[in-house]
This record gives sequence, structure tokens and C-alpha cells, in this order.
Amino acid sequence: MGKSWLRGYITKRLIYAVIIAWGILTVTFILVRVGPTSPADRYLANIAAGGHDVTQAVAAIEARYGVDKPILVQYADYMGNLFQGNWGWSFSTSMPVTELIKTHWIYSFQLILLSSLFAAFLGILIGIYSAVKQYTKADYTFTFFSFVGISIPNFWLGIMLILIFSVKLGLFKTYYDTTLPLFSIDNLKALVLPVITLGTGMLAGYVRYTRSAMLDNLRKAFVTTARAKGLPERTVIGKHVFRNALLPLITIIMFDLGSIVFGGAYLTEIIFGIPGLGQVSFNAIFANDYPVVIAVTLIGTFIVLLVNLITDITYTYLDPRIRYD
Amino acid sequence: MTERLRDIVRRISRPPSNSTRLINYYWQRTRRNKLAIFGLTFIIFLVLLAVVGPFFTLDPTLVDFENKNLPPVGFTIEQSVYNTETDDFITTKVSGTWNHPLGTDSKGRDMLAMLISGARVSMLVGLIATGIAIILGTIIGVLSAYLGGWVDNVLMRLTDIMMTFPFFILLVLIVFIFGPSLVIIVLAIGLTGWTGTARLLRSEALSLRTREFITAAKAMGASDNRVIFRHLIPNVISLIIVIATLAIPGVILAEAALSFIGLGDPTVPSWGIILEAGQNSLRTAWWVAVEPGIMIFLTVLAFNFLGDGLRDAFDPKSNI
Repeated sequence: MGKSWLRGYITKRLIYAVIIAWGILTVTFILVRVGPTSPADRYLANIAAGGHDVTQAVAAIEARYGVDKPILVQYADYMGNLFQGNWGWSFSTSMPVTELIKTHWIYSFQLILLSSLFAAFLGILIGIYSAVKQYTKADYTFTFFSFVGISIPNFWLGIMLILIFSVKLGLFKTYYDTTLPLFSIDNLKALVLPVITLGTGMLAGYVRYTRSAMLDNLRKAFVTTARAKGLPERTVIGKHVFRNALLPLITIIMFDLGSIVFGGAYLTEIIFGIPGLGQVSFNAIFANDYPVVIAVTLIGTFIVLLVNLITDITYTYLDPRIRYD
Repeated sequence: MTERLRDIVRRISRPPSNSTRLINYYWQRTRRNKLAIFGLTFIIFLVLLAVVGPFFTLDPTLVDFENKNLPPVGFTIEQSVYNTETDDFITTKVSGTWNHPLGTDSKGRDMLAMLISGARVSMLVGLIATGIAIILGTIIGVLSAYLGGWVDNVLMRLTDIMMTFPFFILLVLIVFIFGPSLVIIVLAIGLTGWTGTARLLRSEALSLRTREFITAAKAMGASDNRVIFRHLIPNVISLIIVIATLAIPGVILAEAALSFIGLGDPTVPSWGIILEAGQNSLRTAWWVAVEPGIMIFLTVLAFNFLGDGLRDAFDPKSNI
């Protein structure tokens, strides 16, 4: 079949993504400008303690950060700087924000990747089992526990795991050891509790989504046809039902990235002291380190945007029935 | 979350009207779901606790270092106590007392009293922020569908932009910029949480817009206002109820998580704030972290059970 419409579709999606990105940057800019804090705030105490003239110093600092310019000039500067990769200077760590992010992103990435794999693998398996054995005891049990899983606050779950496995049983360290090499067994062991903390909520969600997506398809006519042809049940479930349930599942898994996974990873990193971007942003909040907090927000948002774009495009390959014209 | 909500739209098509018979019918259907009833009972209990509880408990802000780190009733822990006469630490066994049934924290404040005043905060935040989000989402969704054209385009692009922000990270940014006060937290959650509702109500209103009864109302000369408020909105009420019930736990969790990372209102003892303090005293007083977490967990679970039960009850295709 022809894919000529696909190029037009991708172009359209790309333009659309650029518009959204522009909107995100603008919303963030407005938030920061409307907010009551000024970059001079963090120096006020020092200035006053040093016996200097506060108003004069504030004016000097604001001039340095360009806050005294007209709002439109500030807006243009802000956009220009971001596009040139000039994301500002982190006061609290004394390095450029881009540098800070380059050293820390890998910790967030490994946590999110491992948790997603764990949650998707187990969640899809349990979900399929639950759907095939609908209304059995096993199904009810899994459904109940999936409710528990989505309701449990993940930061609390993390603390409970530390309390039980680290404080009482002494099986794991209470804090993530940052000296471990990334690709080692010890590092994997150190990530067991964080992955369970972040993965449980995702796992519970995937069980529910998989179950309902499977049930939607189990009753369809093509399933009856497949069975009538005498196909073994394993093939019917695996090839006919699951393949059709997979597509809506992928959307949900991708959608969760922004709403559940990033928020969860942020908290998990703080609880276990994993030096990822969440931890970086958390420390920056207490140091009143503006550029870092904004940078982490923007990176998270752009990843979501990018993933959505990729999902939409892969869709057309995964399911040739989809046409967006 | 949104995916779950989208699922609801597909299922709910029958609107509850003002008729008591229909409400009775939905109640009968909800009642059959034991988990939903458990959820409802717990929520009623919690609301009562939040409203009248504080009149019966000790003062949650009362600091009492004589009785700090007392375990809950039935638990005994070993505590190192400094003895001023002999000038050294002695390990004594400390048991919980009925004066402080759920124990005390590191400042000797009564846990039961703190948890009950925390219930007040969580319920208020949950209800008000959800209310703002739902009203905003309904207005935007219905207007978008009803007016169409460029209004629809602008509103939906705005929704897309808001939806792309990772929810929690955006909240962190807003509360960081505007300062951690309860009003800011509630507004931040309410003003960012409307996107899912707007999308759902738009698609629901789009399909309703072409139905005969709307055309009939218009043909009889009903104004836009009348069509929207008398015909469109009453037909999506069941959907709104379900969305709200399923949105409240998310709000409670978000507030607790913000408090937990130090962006809570320090003047209000919410569950998240107690939990945050408890994390630092895990080794000496585990219950300070355990108890507020159980409260958050049960509350969120109760709302999820009820919301799911209501969704099934409103769904004419589900055979319950």
C-alpha cells in the first residue's frame, strides 16, 4: 500500500509539535515573569548583611539578568537563549545548567527505563491472564491489587520499603550509592527498591489497561472466527486478541510518561537519594536556583512532546489500517 | 488517568435526570458493588471526622517534649533517654498509652489530632481543587464543542499545550514560583488539572450537539445559554460526577506529594507534611511516617472504588 500521504502527515505533525513547544516556552515565560520572585531575592540577605544599599544592588542584579528591560525584549532574549543552548547558570552548583543536566540525566533515565520494563512486562502478562480468566478468583484478586497499586502513594511506598527492607531487615542500603559504576550488579541491586517504588503504580495501571483492552477484543467476531477455524487458544489469544489490544495499550503507556512516570520518578529519586534530574530540581528549589527548576520542567515537557510525536508516527507502521488524512 | 476517563465516555450514554426514580435506579446499581459501598462509607466517615473530629481531639499543635516519640497503643519500643542525674543515656522500654492512642511525633504532638486536622486539609484541597478543575474543564469543553470554529481551535491547542506538561513537574514549578501557601496549591492544581475534563466533555458535547432534542430546542428558539445549561450540561452530569470522583484522589495525592518535597504550606498540618517529618525519624519513630501514609492510601483507595462503582452503575451496558 502507498505511504505517500505519510510524508505530509509527518510534516504536519512536526509543525504542530513546534507550535506546542512554542506554547510551552511561552507559558513557562509568563509563569516566571508573573511570579512574585525576582532573581535578586536570593542575594537580599547577603546584601543587607554586608551593609550595602539594597535598592541599588537589586537594580544592578536585575540589570544583569535583563529583568529591567521591556517585557517583549525579555521574551525575545529568553527564546533566543534557549534556542542557542544557553540555558543559564546554576548558582547553587556553580556550573552551566546544560552541564548539570548532562551529568545527571543518566540516573533518571536508568530508573525510568528499568521501572517501565518491569511494569510493562509484568503488567501486560497479569492483564492478559486476568482477561482470559475473567470473573475467576484470580481475576478478582488481581483487580483488587491493581486498585491498591494505583492508590498507594508512591513516595509512601518507598518509605515503607526502606523501613522494612533497609531499616528492619538490613537487606539494602537506605540511600542510593552514587559511587557505583552504572553498569554493574551492585548498581542493579541498589535500584531494586527504587524500581519497585516507581514501578508499582505503573504496573497496576498496565494490568487494568491490558485487561480492559483484551476484554474489548475478546468478544469481537474475528476471535470467534479464529476459534471456529480450530486455532489453538494460545494462538487466538496471542496473535489475534493481543495484537489488536496492543495499540491502545501503547498510547496509554506513552501517555503515562508525562502524568505518572515523571512525577513518580521525581519523588522516587528524592526518597532514595538518586542523583537524577528530580533530585537536581529538588535541590535547586531549596537553593532558589531558578534556571535549574525551569530547565528540568522544560526537559520533561519536551520529552513528552517528542515521545507523543514518535508514538503517532510509529502507529502508522504498527497498524496499517490507520490513516491520518 | 485520562485514558480511564476516555473509557468512561464510551460507556456512559444514559443521562441521569432530576427524576428520583432514575436516581434510585442508579443507587440500586451502585449498591450492588461492595467495594464502591466500602469507599462511600469510608468517605462519609472521613468527612464527619474532618468536620467534627477536631472538637474532640487534643490540640494538634500542642508541643510536649516530655511525651515525645510515644508509640501507638499496643506497641512497645526501646528508647534512649538522657538521664540528667547520672549524665548518661539509658535505654528504657516505652509503651503507647491511651492518652495518645496513635502515639506522638518527635515534638510530642498527638498523632491522632494531627491526622484528623490533616483530614480536614486533604478533603478541602481535594474538593475545592477538583471543583475548580471540573468547572473550568466543563466550560472549556462545552464551549469548544458548541461554538466550534476558531474558538474550538484555540481552546483545544491550549489544552494540548497544558496536557504536554508533566502534571507534577508543572505543579512543582508553579508552587516554587508563587510560594507554598494552601491557596496557591489549590489554585495550581485546579488551574492545571482541567485538561482531561475539557477533552472528554468536548467529545461528549460534540456528539450530543447533533442529537434531535438539541435541534428541537434550537428550532423552538432556545438561546445558546438555554441550550447549553438546560440541555447539554444536564446530559453530561453523570459523566461529570464520575470524572470528579476519580479526580479527587489524584488531587489529594498531588497535595501530599508537594508537601512531601517541602512545597506544602508549612502553617497547615496536612498528611503530606506529617509524612515528610516522619521520613526523617524512621529509625526512632516509624509510626509518624506510617500513619499519615495509611490515611492517604485509604482515602485514595476509597475514592477510586467509589468512582469505579459509579462508572459501572451509570454504564447501561454493564450487567451488574
